[in-house]
Amino acid sequence: MRVPTPTVAAAALAAAMLAACSPGTGSDTGTAQQANDKKITYVYFTDGPDEQATRNLISGFEKETGIQVDLQIVPFDNLEQTLQARLSGNNAPDVARLSDIDPFRDDLLDLNKYQKSALDGVFVDGAKSYTTGKNGELLAVPSDLTMNGPLINVDQFKKANVPLPDEQKPWTWTEMVAAAKKVQQVNKTQYAIAMDVSGHRFATMLSEFGTDYFTADGKVGLDQTKALAAIKEFADLNNSGAMPKDVWLQAGSKYKGANDVFLAGQVPVYISGNWQVSAFAKDAKFTWAAAPNACQERCGGYPGGKFMVSFKQSKHQALAAQFIAWMNSAKSQTQMCQQAAFLPTRKDLISSGITYPSRSTDMNVFLSEIQKTPADTFANNYSPAFSDTANAARDELAKVLAGKDTPEQAVTVIRAAAQKALEGVK
Amino acid sequence: MNQRVAPYLFVLPNMLIFGVFIIYPALNNFNISLYDSTNGRTFRYVGGANYQELVDNADFWSAARATVVFVVCFVVLVTVASIGLAVLLDQRIRGRGVFRAIFFLPVLLSPVVVGLVWGWIFDRNNGLANTVLRGIGLGQPGWLVDGTLATVVVIFVGVWTHVGFYTMIMLAGLQGIDPTYHEAAMIDGASRWQRFRSVTLPLLRPTTMVVVILSMITGFQAFDFIWTLTGGGPVGATTLIVQYIYMHAFQSPIRYGLASAGSVILFCTIFGLTAINFLYNRRRSAA
Repeated sequence: MRVPTPTVAAAALAAAMLAACSPGTGSDTGTAQQANDKKITYVYFTDGPDEQATRNLISGFEKETGIQVDLQIVPFDNLEQTLQARLSGNNAPDVARLSDIDPFRDDLLDLNKYQKSALDGVFVDGAKSYTTGKNGELLAVPSDLTMNGPLINVDQFKKANVPLPDEQKPWTWTEMVAAAKKVQQVNKTQYAIAMDVSGHRFATMLSEFGTDYFTADGKVGLDQTKALAAIKEFADLNNSGAMPKDVWLQAGSKYKGANDVFLAGQVPVYISGNWQVSAFAKDAKFTWAAAPNACQERCGGYPGGKFMVSFKQSKHQALAAQFIAWMNSAKSQTQMCQQAAFLPTRKDLISSGITYPSRSTDMNVFLSEIQKTPADTFANNYSPAFSDTANAARDELAKVLAGKDTPEQAVTVIRAAAQKALEGVK
Repeated sequence: MNQRVAPYLFVLPNMLIFGVFIIYPALNNFNISLYDSTNGRTFRYVGGANYQELVDNADFWSAARATVVFVVCFVVLVTVASIGLAVLLDQRIRGRGVFRAIFFLPVLLSPVVVGLVWGWIFDRNNGLANTVLRGIGLGQPGWLVDGTLATVVVIFVGVWTHVGFYTMIMLAGLQGIDPTYHEAAMIDGASRWQRFRSVTLPLLRPTTMVVVILSMITGFQAFDFIWTLTGGGPVGATTLIVQYIYMHAFQSPIRYGLASAGSVILFCTIFGLTAINFLYNRRRSAA
């Protein structure tokens, strides 16, 4: 086959033209020209019941200030991609809700520039290093806090005559497993304990066994003996059928909650977190309750949460910062927490507590877990390297369950992933 | 209007759209593969580092191996099954139109729906397949939690989804064969099998080549139904190359350059195999 010379020339020219130009336009991190209109955009992803609570708050804000808020809801899976595309097109929203601020750190507005008195030092201390920029800027506001913890099927516990865990004298992992297995036996449920397919949820177990992905000062953690004990316990529970191994293996590279197993009454103890409270209040056909986390070497759960940010590209920076401050005032956060069953991030509200209109006892169990949760877990969760490390841990645990790696190898692999993630953010 | 210019003007709108949305992004993909970017705005030139990273990455090779297994099985099965079905549907049987519609139906389904439905069917504890197997005392295989079984399921679902489309192509090919060849063979006393082997199959070769090339491209591009069916699991057993690219391009931590390098390798592989297939068949036809 003979390729004509003009075709070769055209192809070479096209390749040369493309190779000669960098595909990017460079990051424009300068301040955008400010507009005079009173309308801001808010890109939001919803966990469910929080959407209406957010809309209610926005209505209040619009009435009080006369500023219009265009709420734009995007699926969580598309959030990063959507925002990166909008930033590329110089069309960033004024405000966004994020679960991870790191991919946008260079693009975020310093909120202290406009709302220092309302926002600085107000929120949970553990998030401070994460939300603070290189030069002390306030890049994000922790807008809601999540706390991992077990949820139990009270009906099944009662039927099995197994006492419910006492908040004053929390159960150990050994006691929790024994209780769950007894309840499983009596109620003939498929499993005793279920956990979401998530490296974040597994971090709860690691913390309770006395270690974490990183140390409090940001170095690779994962104490060999303690991590090995946690992974072995996890593998034993799955291999013995006490935990649904299929959920971890079947999820592939996707997140998968085990909430459907719990809602189907097929597991008496489900390790998840406070964000399930609203959904279970609506969907569960049995009596359930939030329980204190198991203590092994340490007590407490594992924190997580979402953030509100604005962008340097925003054409309404002052209004955006005003909106973020208003949404996270004590009054607004209280309303949001009450309507969406969220936990507050403000230090004053964590201390004073919140009266929830429904499932108040359960929410207060999670609230009290915040006080018991070790400080290093906050540092871990808010570490820029956390997400990659947790995902690596999730994949590695699946390998252990599939018999491809041993627990000893898993500790080594997760440590290496933590090291790589730390180097990646430097 | 000048008759030389007019045809080009008619195709110009389409070529513009094709150029802007297909050709340019495809060419630019080569360019992006030489850069590293985590946000699509700032690009750092890294030369061939992305390709080197792929070559050194065990997960990439695992995805490549899984892709080869999937494509080979998919192409062979889909080609054989589509020839068989086409021959059956070419017979004068009652309800032929209905059968053709039934076999074509999966092609019309959304791949996401296909993945979800087969996921429920093959669920180890509550799935339809295991409920039936349990009923006849054959246990509960972990269809989606055992690497080998999950690969078999993914190939089966892929073939089930696409075989209707290739059957229609084969059927068109069969109907294009001049019946006088068969009549001549019958007069010479050829059996049904001999007619199929010595008349139908050789005359169906151009159509078979089309099916092999198209199914090979489809096999290399398989992603959507696998993503909803297995998520690439268990432990990466069904993670094919497109999912590997997708995960680096659209899931945190985003690596556009690495994903582009993976796409370039995929493009070169498909292009090379298609060219080999095309040249081989052209030579055979000429001989």
